[in-house]
Amino acid sequence: MSDALIKTDNTKFEPGTGQSPGQSSAQMASNLVDLARYRSRSQFLVIYDFFAPRLKSYLIMRGAESSLAEELVQEAMLSVWRRCDSFDPEKATASTWIFTIARNLWIDHLRKFKPDRLSSLDCYEDISEPVETEFTDSHKLKQLIKNLPCQQAQLIHQVYFSGKTHREIADEMAIPLGSVKSGLRLAFEKLRKQLGGNQ
Amino acid sequence: MTIIHHHPDISTLMSYAAGSLSDSMSLVISCHLEHCSDCRQRRASAESLGSSLVEECSPVSMSTGARDDILQMLNIQPHQSSAAPIPKPPKHGEVPSALQRLLGHAEFDQLEWKTLAPGMKQVALPSAEGKLKLLKIAPGTCLPSHGHSGTELTLVLKGSYTDECGRFQAGDLEDLDPDTKHQPVADTHEACICLIATDAPLKFEGLVPRLLQPFFGL
Ligand SMILES: [Zn+2]
Repeated sequence: MSDALIKTDNTKFEPGTGQSPGQSSAQMASNLVDLARYRSRSQFLVIYDFFAPRLKSYLIMRGAESSLAEELVQEAMLSVWRRCDSFDPEKATASTWIFTIARNLWIDHLRKFKPDRLSSLDCYEDISEPVETEFTDSHKLKQLIKNLPCQQAQLIHQVYFSGKTHREIADEMAIPLGSVKSGLRLAFEKLRKQLGGNQ
Repeated sequence: MTIIHHHPDISTLMSYAAGSLSDSMSLVISCHLEHCSDCRQRRASAESLGSSLVEECSPVSMSTGARDDILQMLNIQPHQSSAAPIPKPPKHGEVPSALQRLLGHAEFDQLEWKTLAPGMKQVALPSAEGKLKLLKIAPGTCLPSHGHSGTELTLVLKGSYTDECGRFQAGDLEDLDPDTKHQPVADTHEACICLIATDAPLKFEGLVPRLLQPFFGL
Protein backbone atom coordinates (compact mmCIF):
# COMPACT_ATOMS: atom_id res chain seq x y z
CA MET A 1 0.00 0.00 0.00
CA SER A 2 1.44 3.32 -1.07
CA ASP A 3 0.06 5.07 2.02
CA ALA A 4 3.16 4.03 3.85
CA LEU A 5 5.21 6.22 1.57
CA ILE A 6 3.42 9.35 2.54
CA LYS A 7 4.72 11.31 5.44
CA THR A 8 1.81 12.91 7.16
CA ASP A 9 1.56 14.15 10.68
CA ASN A 10 -2.06 14.09 11.64
CA THR A 11 -1.56 13.65 15.34
CA LYS A 12 -2.78 17.07 16.44
CA PHE A 13 -5.41 17.12 13.80
CA GLU A 14 -9.14 17.36 14.22
CA PRO A 15 -10.78 15.71 11.25
CA GLY A 16 -13.46 17.54 9.35
CA THR A 17 -13.32 20.81 11.24
CA GLY A 18 -11.01 22.56 8.84
CA GLN A 19 -8.73 23.44 11.79
CA SER A 20 -5.78 21.82 10.16
CA PRO A 21 -2.23 22.91 10.62
CA GLY A 22 -1.52 25.66 8.09
CA GLN A 23 -1.29 24.19 4.64
CA SER A 24 0.74 26.30 2.31
CA SER A 25 -0.43 26.66 -1.22
CA ALA A 26 2.65 24.82 -2.48
CA GLN A 27 2.07 21.94 -0.06
CA MET A 28 -1.50 21.53 -1.22
CA ALA A 29 -0.41 21.49 -4.84
CA SER A 30 2.15 18.78 -4.18
CA ASN A 31 -0.46 16.86 -2.19
CA LEU A 32 -2.69 16.82 -5.24
CA VAL A 33 0.12 15.77 -7.54
CA ASP A 34 1.03 12.96 -5.15
CA LEU A 35 -2.58 11.96 -4.88
CA ALA A 36 -2.72 11.37 -8.61
CA ARG A 37 0.51 9.39 -8.45
CA TYR A 38 0.03 7.25 -5.34
CA ARG A 39 -3.77 7.19 -4.92
CA SER A 40 -3.28 7.38 -1.19
CA ARG A 41 -6.40 7.66 0.96
CA SER A 42 -4.60 9.29 3.85
CA GLN A 43 -3.29 11.91 1.47
CA PHE A 44 -6.80 12.41 0.16
CA LEU A 45 -8.04 12.97 3.70
CA VAL A 46 -5.48 15.71 4.29
CA ILE A 47 -6.92 17.54 1.30
CA TYR A 48 -10.48 16.69 2.31
CA ASP A 49 -10.07 17.90 5.87
CA PHE A 50 -8.77 21.24 4.72
CA PHE A 51 -11.17 21.93 1.88
CA ALA A 52 -14.47 20.21 2.74
CA PRO A 53 -15.41 22.54 5.64
CA ARG A 54 -14.43 25.59 3.59
CA LEU A 55 -16.38 24.51 0.54
CA LYS A 56 -19.33 23.81 2.79
CA SER A 57 -19.11 27.32 4.16
CA TYR A 58 -18.84 28.72 0.63
CA LEU A 59 -21.87 26.78 -0.63
CA ILE A 60 -23.96 27.83 2.35
CA MET A 61 -23.08 31.45 1.63
CA ARG A 62 -24.15 30.91 -1.96
CA GLY A 63 -27.52 29.83 -0.67
CA ALA A 64 -27.33 26.06 -0.25
CA GLU A 65 -29.02 24.43 2.72
CA SER A 66 -26.60 22.68 5.00
CA SER A 67 -27.48 19.20 3.76
CA LEU A 68 -27.32 20.21 0.10
CA ALA A 69 -24.02 21.98 0.72
CA GLU A 70 -22.64 18.82 2.22
CA GLU A 71 -23.89 16.70 -0.64
CA LEU A 72 -22.19 19.01 -3.15
CA VAL A 73 -19.00 19.07 -1.10
CA GLN A 74 -18.87 15.28 -1.22
CA GLU A 75 -19.43 15.39 -4.95
CA ALA A 76 -16.70 17.99 -5.39
CA MET A 77 -14.23 16.04 -3.29
CA LEU A 78 -15.05 12.88 -5.20
CA SER A 79 -14.19 14.78 -8.38
CA VAL A 80 -10.90 15.77 -6.77
CA TRP A 81 -10.15 12.09 -6.17
CA ARG A 82 -11.15 11.04 -9.66
CA ARG A 83 -9.73 13.92 -11.66
CA CYS A 84 -6.59 14.88 -9.78
CA ASP A 85 -4.49 13.51 -12.64
CA SER A 86 -5.72 16.47 -14.69
CA PHE A 87 -4.50 18.94 -12.06
CA ASP A 88 -1.47 20.84 -13.31
CA PRO A 89 0.39 22.85 -10.66
CA GLU A 90 1.89 24.99 -13.42
CA LYS A 91 -1.55 26.23 -14.37
CA ALA A 92 -3.45 26.68 -11.13
CA THR A 93 -3.13 26.44 -7.40
CA ALA A 94 -4.79 23.48 -5.71
CA SER A 95 -7.20 25.86 -4.09
CA THR A 96 -8.23 27.48 -7.39
CA TRP A 97 -8.62 24.12 -9.09
CA ILE A 98 -10.89 22.86 -6.33
CA PHE A 99 -12.80 26.14 -6.18
CA THR A 100 -13.70 25.88 -9.88
CA ILE A 101 -14.97 22.33 -9.38
CA ALA A 102 -17.26 23.47 -6.55
CA ARG A 103 -18.38 26.56 -8.47
CA ASN A 104 -19.31 24.49 -11.51
CA LEU A 105 -21.24 21.98 -9.41
CA TRP A 106 -23.14 24.82 -7.79
CA ILE A 107 -24.14 26.58 -11.00
CA ASP A 108 -25.13 23.29 -12.59
CA HIS A 109 -27.25 22.60 -9.54
CA LEU A 110 -28.95 26.01 -9.82
CA ARG A 111 -29.75 25.44 -13.47
CA LYS A 112 -30.75 21.82 -13.07
CA PHE A 113 -34.44 22.40 -13.60
CA LYS A 114 -34.27 25.30 -16.02
CA PRO A 115 -35.18 24.62 -19.62
CA ASP A 116 -32.52 25.19 -22.28
CA ARG A 117 -29.80 25.59 -19.71
CA LEU A 118 -26.17 25.64 -20.74
CA SER A 119 -23.99 23.50 -18.54
CA SER A 120 -20.73 24.53 -16.92
CA LEU A 121 -19.03 22.38 -19.55
CA ASP A 122 -20.44 24.67 -22.24
CA CYS A 123 -19.48 27.83 -20.42
CA TYR A 124 -16.18 27.01 -18.73
CA GLU A 125 -13.72 25.42 -21.02
CA ASP A 126 -10.69 23.98 -19.38
CA ILE A 127 -8.28 26.26 -21.11
CA SER A 128 -6.24 27.51 -18.23
CA GLU A 129 -2.62 28.27 -18.90
CA PRO A 130 0.38 29.22 -16.82
CA VAL A 131 -0.72 32.20 -14.85
CA GLU A 132 0.57 34.79 -12.50
CA THR A 133 -1.40 33.61 -9.51
CA GLU A 134 -1.86 36.93 -7.92
CA PHE A 135 -4.19 36.11 -5.10
CA THR A 136 -2.53 33.13 -3.48
CA ASP A 137 -1.87 34.81 -0.14
CA SER A 138 -5.35 34.52 1.23
CA HIS A 139 -4.51 35.90 4.67
CA LYS A 140 -3.10 39.05 3.19
CA LEU A 141 -6.02 39.29 0.80
CA LYS A 142 -8.44 39.19 3.70
CA GLN A 143 -6.65 42.11 5.33
CA LEU A 144 -6.61 44.08 2.10
CA ILE A 145 -10.31 43.56 1.58
CA LYS A 146 -10.93 44.91 5.06
CA ASN A 147 -9.06 48.04 4.04
CA LEU A 148 -11.11 48.59 0.89
CA PRO A 149 -13.83 51.22 0.89
CA CYS A 150 -16.87 49.53 2.34
CA GLN A 151 -18.84 49.60 -0.89
CA GLN A 152 -16.08 47.96 -2.92
CA ALA A 153 -15.69 45.18 -0.37
CA GLN A 154 -19.44 44.65 -0.49
CA LEU A 155 -19.34 44.42 -4.26
CA ILE A 156 -16.68 41.71 -4.16
CA HIS A 157 -18.72 39.82 -1.65
CA GLN A 158 -21.88 40.16 -3.73
CA VAL A 159 -20.19 38.87 -6.87
CA TYR A 160 -18.40 35.90 -5.33
CA PHE A 161 -20.87 34.83 -2.67
CA SER A 162 -24.36 36.09 -3.43
CA GLY A 163 -24.24 35.02 -7.06
CA LYS A 164 -26.12 38.10 -8.20
CA THR A 165 -25.74 39.74 -11.60
CA HIS A 166 -24.46 43.30 -11.81
CA ARG A 167 -28.00 44.52 -12.44
CA GLU A 168 -29.34 42.73 -9.37
CA ILE A 169 -26.51 44.08 -7.24
CA ALA A 170 -27.20 47.61 -8.51
CA ASP A 171 -30.87 47.29 -7.62
CA GLU A 172 -30.17 45.85 -4.22
CA MET A 173 -27.53 48.39 -3.26
CA ALA A 174 -29.50 51.21 -4.91
CA ILE A 175 -26.54 52.40 -6.98
CA PRO A 176 -26.25 52.79 -10.76
CA LEU A 177 -25.19 49.76 -12.77
CA GLY A 178 -22.14 51.67 -13.95
CA SER A 179 -21.01 52.14 -10.35
CA VAL A 180 -21.18 48.40 -9.76
CA LYS A 181 -18.84 47.82 -12.67
CA SER A 182 -16.44 50.64 -11.83
CA GLY A 183 -16.39 49.70 -8.14
CA LEU A 184 -15.44 46.12 -8.98
CA ARG A 185 -12.85 47.34 -11.44
CA LEU A 186 -11.21 49.62 -8.86
CA ALA A 187 -11.27 46.97 -6.16
CA PHE A 188 -9.69 44.36 -8.42
CA GLU A 189 -6.91 46.69 -9.55
CA LYS A 190 -6.17 47.79 -6.03
CA LEU A 191 -5.98 44.24 -4.69
CA ARG A 192 -3.87 43.14 -7.63
CA LYS A 193 -1.38 45.94 -7.10
CA GLN A 194 -1.20 45.53 -3.35
CA LEU A 195 -0.64 41.81 -3.53
CA GLY A 196 2.40 42.56 -5.60
CA GLY A 197 1.53 40.81 -8.83
CA ASN A 198 3.63 37.97 -10.04
CA GLN A 199 4.81 35.69 -7.24
CA MET B 1 -4.12 34.97 -35.62
CA THR B 2 -5.68 38.39 -35.51
CA ILE B 3 -4.83 40.73 -32.68
CA ILE B 4 -7.70 41.34 -30.30
CA HIS B 5 -8.38 44.94 -29.41
CA HIS B 6 -11.57 44.78 -27.38
CA HIS B 7 -12.02 42.71 -24.24
CA PRO B 8 -14.64 42.13 -21.57
CA ASP B 9 -14.43 44.45 -18.58
CA ILE B 10 -12.68 42.94 -15.55
CA SER B 11 -15.95 43.31 -13.62
CA THR B 12 -17.55 40.98 -16.17
CA LEU B 13 -14.69 38.49 -15.90
CA MET B 14 -14.96 38.57 -12.10
CA SER B 15 -18.61 37.64 -12.31
CA TYR B 16 -17.77 34.97 -14.86
CA ALA B 17 -15.07 33.52 -12.60
CA ALA B 18 -17.42 33.68 -9.63
CA GLY B 19 -20.16 31.82 -11.50
CA SER B 20 -22.42 34.86 -11.25
CA LEU B 21 -23.07 35.60 -14.91
CA SER B 22 -26.06 34.34 -16.84
CA ASP B 23 -25.36 31.16 -18.80
CA SER B 24 -25.82 33.08 -22.05
CA MET B 25 -23.20 35.67 -21.14
CA SER B 26 -20.85 33.01 -19.78
CA LEU B 27 -20.93 31.26 -23.12
CA VAL B 28 -19.98 34.43 -24.97
CA ILE B 29 -17.06 34.96 -22.58
CA SER B 30 -15.98 31.37 -23.08
CA CYS B 31 -15.91 31.86 -26.86
CA HIS B 32 -13.80 35.01 -26.44
CA LEU B 33 -11.36 33.19 -24.15
CA GLU B 34 -10.66 30.67 -26.89
CA HIS B 35 -9.01 33.48 -28.82
CA CYS B 36 -7.63 35.67 -26.08
CA SER B 37 -4.79 34.62 -23.84
CA ASP B 38 -4.81 38.00 -22.05
CA CYS B 39 -8.32 37.35 -20.86
CA ARG B 40 -7.51 33.75 -19.97
CA GLN B 41 -4.90 35.21 -17.62
CA ARG B 42 -7.36 37.72 -16.20
CA ARG B 43 -9.93 34.99 -15.78
CA ALA B 44 -7.38 32.88 -13.89
CA SER B 45 -6.62 35.84 -11.62
CA ALA B 46 -10.29 36.36 -10.93
CA GLU B 47 -10.66 32.65 -10.15
CA SER B 48 -7.69 32.75 -7.81
CA LEU B 49 -9.29 35.71 -6.05
CA GLY B 50 -12.41 33.59 -5.61
CA SER B 51 -10.49 30.63 -4.27
CA SER B 52 -8.60 32.79 -1.78
CA LEU B 53 -11.89 34.19 -0.56
CA VAL B 54 -13.15 30.64 -0.07
CA GLU B 55 -9.97 29.70 1.80
CA GLU B 56 -10.70 32.53 4.19
CA CYS B 57 -14.31 31.44 4.80
CA SER B 58 -14.87 30.35 8.37
CA PRO B 59 -14.92 26.57 8.03
CA VAL B 60 -18.25 24.86 8.73
CA SER B 61 -17.75 21.36 10.10
CA MET B 62 -18.98 18.47 8.04
CA SER B 63 -21.39 16.18 9.85
CA THR B 64 -20.09 13.11 11.62
CA GLY B 65 -19.84 10.29 9.21
CA ALA B 66 -19.15 12.47 6.18
CA ARG B 67 -15.53 11.44 6.27
CA ASP B 68 -16.36 7.74 6.39
CA ASP B 69 -18.95 8.22 3.66
CA ILE B 70 -16.46 9.81 1.31
CA LEU B 71 -13.98 7.00 1.90
CA GLN B 72 -16.73 4.56 0.91
CA MET B 73 -17.47 6.58 -2.19
CA LEU B 74 -13.85 6.42 -3.32
CA ASN B 75 -14.42 2.74 -4.04
CA ILE B 76 -17.26 3.35 -6.45
CA GLN B 77 -16.36 3.33 -10.09
CA PRO B 78 -17.44 6.58 -11.72
CA HIS B 79 -20.32 6.70 -14.13
CA GLN B 80 -19.25 7.87 -17.51
CA SER B 81 -21.16 11.11 -17.05
CA SER B 82 -19.80 12.22 -13.71
CA ALA B 83 -16.18 11.64 -14.61
CA ALA B 84 -13.84 13.86 -16.55
CA PRO B 85 -15.27 16.51 -18.84
CA ILE B 86 -15.87 15.30 -22.35
CA PRO B 87 -13.04 16.55 -24.50
CA LYS B 88 -14.22 19.15 -26.95
CA PRO B 89 -14.09 18.19 -30.61
CA PRO B 90 -11.11 19.68 -32.38
CA LYS B 91 -11.76 23.12 -33.70
CA HIS B 92 -12.70 23.25 -37.33
CA GLY B 93 -14.35 25.86 -39.48
CA GLU B 94 -15.39 29.21 -38.07
CA VAL B 95 -17.49 28.17 -35.10
CA PRO B 96 -15.83 28.47 -31.67
CA SER B 97 -15.60 25.10 -29.90
CA ALA B 98 -17.76 26.30 -27.03
CA LEU B 99 -20.55 26.97 -29.52
CA GLN B 100 -20.30 23.82 -31.62
CA ARG B 101 -22.54 21.61 -29.51
CA LEU B 102 -25.20 24.30 -29.39
CA LEU B 103 -25.22 24.61 -33.18
CA GLY B 104 -25.39 20.86 -33.64
CA HIS B 105 -21.90 21.00 -35.17
CA ALA B 106 -23.22 22.95 -38.15
CA GLU B 107 -21.30 25.73 -39.84
CA PHE B 108 -22.75 29.24 -40.01
CA ASP B 109 -24.04 28.86 -43.56
CA GLN B 110 -25.89 25.66 -42.63
CA LEU B 111 -28.02 27.39 -40.01
CA GLU B 112 -31.59 28.55 -40.46
CA TRP B 113 -31.24 32.29 -40.41
CA LYS B 114 -34.44 34.24 -39.82
CA THR B 115 -34.76 37.68 -41.37
CA LEU B 116 -35.39 40.44 -38.82
CA ALA B 117 -35.13 43.44 -41.08
CA PRO B 118 -33.46 44.15 -44.40
CA GLY B 119 -29.83 43.11 -44.13
CA MET B 120 -30.29 41.58 -40.69
CA LYS B 121 -30.79 37.92 -39.85
CA GLN B 122 -30.66 36.00 -36.61
CA VAL B 123 -30.58 32.55 -35.10
CA ALA B 124 -31.98 32.41 -31.57
CA LEU B 125 -30.05 30.00 -29.37
CA PRO B 126 -31.27 28.23 -26.26
CA SER B 127 -30.14 29.46 -22.85
CA ALA B 128 -31.76 29.56 -19.45
CA GLU B 129 -30.76 33.03 -18.34
CA GLY B 130 -30.74 36.10 -20.51
CA LYS B 131 -30.99 35.90 -24.28
CA LEU B 132 -28.48 34.40 -26.64
CA LYS B 133 -28.38 34.67 -30.39
CA LEU B 134 -26.34 34.89 -33.52
CA LEU B 135 -26.84 38.01 -35.58
CA LYS B 136 -25.77 38.37 -39.20
CA ILE B 137 -25.44 41.88 -40.55
CA ALA B 138 -25.15 42.29 -44.33
CA PRO B 139 -22.30 44.49 -45.62
CA GLY B 140 -23.07 48.17 -45.20
CA THR B 141 -26.14 47.54 -43.07
CA CYS B 142 -26.60 49.88 -40.17
CA LEU B 143 -28.41 48.68 -37.04
CA PRO B 144 -30.89 51.06 -35.40
CA SER B 145 -29.30 53.14 -32.69
CA HIS B 146 -30.11 51.63 -29.34
CA GLY B 147 -29.19 51.74 -25.69
CA HIS B 148 -29.34 48.99 -23.12
CA SER B 149 -31.02 48.89 -19.78
CA GLY B 150 -28.81 46.01 -18.74
CA THR B 151 -25.62 44.50 -19.96
CA GLU B 152 -24.94 43.21 -23.42
CA LEU B 153 -21.95 41.27 -24.65
CA THR B 154 -21.25 41.13 -28.37
CA LEU B 155 -18.53 38.90 -29.76
CA VAL B 156 -17.57 39.17 -33.41
CA LEU B 157 -17.16 35.73 -34.95
CA LYS B 158 -16.76 36.74 -38.58
CA GLY B 159 -16.37 39.98 -40.49
CA SER B 160 -16.36 43.25 -38.60
CA TYR B 161 -18.46 46.21 -37.56
CA THR B 162 -17.86 49.75 -36.44
CA ASP B 163 -19.79 51.74 -33.89
CA GLU B 164 -19.24 54.74 -31.62
CA CYS B 165 -16.79 52.72 -29.51
CA GLY B 166 -14.52 51.60 -32.32
CA ARG B 167 -13.99 48.88 -34.86
CA PHE B 168 -14.74 45.30 -33.87
CA GLN B 169 -13.20 42.36 -35.72
CA ALA B 170 -13.29 38.59 -35.28
CA GLY B 171 -12.43 37.77 -31.65
CA ASP B 172 -13.21 41.25 -30.37
CA LEU B 173 -15.78 41.50 -27.62
CA GLU B 174 -17.83 44.61 -26.92
CA ASP B 175 -18.81 44.81 -23.27
CA LEU B 176 -21.12 47.75 -23.56
CA ASP B 177 -21.51 50.15 -20.68
CA PRO B 178 -25.13 50.17 -19.64
CA ASP B 179 -25.68 53.81 -20.53
CA THR B 180 -23.90 53.88 -23.88
CA LYS B 181 -25.96 54.04 -27.02
CA HIS B 182 -24.49 52.50 -30.12
CA GLN B 183 -25.25 52.05 -33.78
CA PRO B 184 -23.18 49.27 -35.32
CA VAL B 185 -22.59 49.10 -39.06
CA ALA B 186 -21.08 46.15 -40.90
CA ASP B 187 -18.07 47.84 -42.43
CA THR B 188 -16.61 45.47 -45.03
CA HIS B 189 -17.77 43.59 -48.10
CA GLU B 190 -18.29 40.56 -45.89
CA ALA B 191 -21.33 39.90 -43.70
CA CYS B 192 -20.62 40.32 -40.01
CA ILE B 193 -21.63 37.48 -37.70
CA CYS B 194 -21.86 38.21 -33.99
CA LEU B 195 -22.76 36.22 -30.93
CA ILE B 196 -24.81 38.37 -28.59
CA ALA B 197 -25.95 37.79 -25.03
CA THR B 198 -28.20 40.17 -23.19
CA ASP B 199 -29.26 40.37 -19.62
CA ALA B 200 -32.23 42.67 -19.98
CA PRO B 201 -34.47 44.01 -22.74
CA LEU B 202 -32.88 46.55 -25.07
CA LYS B 203 -34.35 50.00 -25.34
CA PHE B 204 -34.60 51.28 -28.89
CA GLU B 205 -35.04 54.91 -29.78
CA GLY B 206 -37.39 56.34 -32.37
CA LEU B 207 -40.64 55.07 -33.77
CA VAL B 208 -39.58 52.62 -36.43
CA PRO B 209 -36.96 50.87 -34.33
CA ARG B 210 -39.49 50.64 -31.51
CA LEU B 211 -41.78 48.78 -33.86
CA LEU B 212 -38.92 46.49 -34.71
CA GLN B 213 -38.22 45.67 -31.12
CA PRO B 214 -40.54 42.65 -30.86
CA PHE B 215 -38.84 41.11 -33.89
CA PHE B 216 -35.43 41.40 -32.36
CA GLY B 217 -36.34 39.43 -29.32
CA LEU B 218 -33.51 41.47 -27.89
ZN1 LIG C 1 -9.75 39.35 -24.23
